[in-house]
Amino acid sequence: MGRTLDRLFSIFILLLTAVAFLSLAFVIYFIVREALPTFAVVRPADFLFGQRWMPVDYGMEISFGIFNFIAGSVAVSLLAMLIASVVGLGAAVYLSCVASQRARDLIYPFVDLLAGIPSVVYGFIGIVVLLRIFMRAGVHTGSCLLAAAILLAVMLLPFLVSSCSETMLKARRSYLPAADALGVDRWYAIASIVLPASRKNILFSMILAIGRAMGETMAVMMVMGNANLFPTLLGKGESIASVIALEMGTAVAGSTHYHALYAAGLVLMLLVFLINTAIMLLRRRLIGREEG
Amino acid sequence: MALRARLTQIWAYGSILLVLGVVLFLFVYVFAQGAGTISPEFLTDMPRGAVLGMEGGIFPAIAGSFAFTLTAIVLGGIPAVAAALYMVFYCKSRKKEGLLRAVIQCIAGIPSIVLGLFAYSFLVRDMGLGRCVLSSGTALAVMILPFIEVRAEKAFREVPLQVVQSSYALGCSRCHTILHVVLPTCRGELVSGIILGGCYAMGATAPLIFTGGVAFAAPPDSLLKPAMALPLHLYLLVAQGSTSLSTAYGTAFVMMAVILLSNLLATLYAGRSRHR
Repeated sequence: MGRTLDRLFSIFILLLTAVAFLSLAFVIYFIVREALPTFAVVRPADFLFGQRWMPVDYGMEISFGIFNFIAGSVAVSLLAMLIASVVGLGAAVYLSCVASQRARDLIYPFVDLLAGIPSVVYGFIGIVVLLRIFMRAGVHTGSCLLAAAILLAVMLLPFLVSSCSETMLKARRSYLPAADALGVDRWYAIASIVLPASRKNILFSMILAIGRAMGETMAVMMVMGNANLFPTLLGKGESIASVIALEMGTAVAGSTHYHALYAAGLVLMLLVFLINTAIMLLRRRLIGREEG
Repeated sequence: MALRARLTQIWAYGSILLVLGVVLFLFVYVFAQGAGTISPEFLTDMPRGAVLGMEGGIFPAIAGSFAFTLTAIVLGGIPAVAAALYMVFYCKSRKKEGLLRAVIQCIAGIPSIVLGLFAYSFLVRDMGLGRCVLSSGTALAVMILPFIEVRAEKAFREVPLQVVQSSYALGCSRCHTILHVVLPTCRGELVSGIILGGCYAMGATAPLIFTGGVAFAAPPDSLLKPAMALPLHLYLLVAQGSTSLSTAYGTAFVMMAVILLSNLLATLYAGRSRHR
């Protein structure tokens, strides 16, 4: 009886594991299936590089070009990553090279709280705090790319802090004792040994952060102004995810508008996959060689 | 030389202070602004007011969020734990393991709004479920599957190999070993992973917007009905402008409190089982 039970349990586990495969396959299948009809109406190049987005016929010719949205997503994610890296890396230096184990055990969960805060709450605080500051500084209505990037940067912090400090902790453990023994100034050793030694992994984490940022919807949507413009630092912009969230409710099912939103979703998903795959390959190539 | 060292020092201390300050600010700000709104009526009443939600409470949103989260945990958590078990105890070929890991990572990379699109086309339209808790719950389940898998796998890998090997050597089957040795050993980490996964699902708005979250509904009594959800409610209140600001702060308060308590609970639970 025990053996049958064991066999059954294995099958059960195997079937449930298959759910993971199936869900990925299903997501890709349904998104691609709903996206494809778009390209019967719009040429892929026009879709990707067109700047006019007129999904509904209000007398003007309809057109589907998501270039500004792609640029908006990329710009806000890139900027957010840069802001988050400056602060996150500094915090990681402190956590990995200065803080005691006890302090680390206290600070990590505290910073991780940021990851738990719902993105709508970030958007809300962005509107009531950040946008007011921007408005006072003279930005019309306050909503702009920079505000969205700052907000997004806070959301990226826990990921960057934990992955960078993990890398630097390793570097610190292998180099700092020797530097200490030689009497090198601790901060000089950090700046000239620990940081350069962790350079590659830090770069990987930064690029992965861009991928994470691009999938973010609500917070960005609430503070970026949502206007189909080419993104500028203090201008309004719109991300791919925002277009989908804002227009999906009004798009007539089965219309080109509906399919175009799926196509936009497909583009977003492919962008993130591309970043993640590139990092996976690069990491295998660069790190694999060094550490065997 | 010395300058570079000092600059690094200033940068490190400045950054960590800024990070801690931001975390503190977010919680203190929301708690301070929302505290005035919180009352037993706010937590148990229906939304009311000329502009809906301006007055009254958020009870249906709390109940709805609970329903969405629970559905996501059941649908996403079980396959996640199974996949982690498979990865650690069943899979013998490195290739399969690598493939499964790549699949999990891909799922983790899918933007949550795309999961909403998926659930809309698959469940709401093709399966004819319409906008309901189940449709959104499925999207959320896919979203938290990798989140829970990674944590469960980490917990399983930390079970000492000798313990597992000893169980096998005593003639226990894999099934018996997993159920009676592995799962009890890492119950704490497992439960805390699931709690945090639940939090992640609870806070998500994008997958709900067009698959099952609505502006107003009674507390859900069936998985096949649409429901309100806290984050969506907050979004709609904010979109209404300044008239609903105090209920918006109250809603944010409730979510932040849930996050804080869940994190505390998860940390305590994971810690307790480790020290035992």
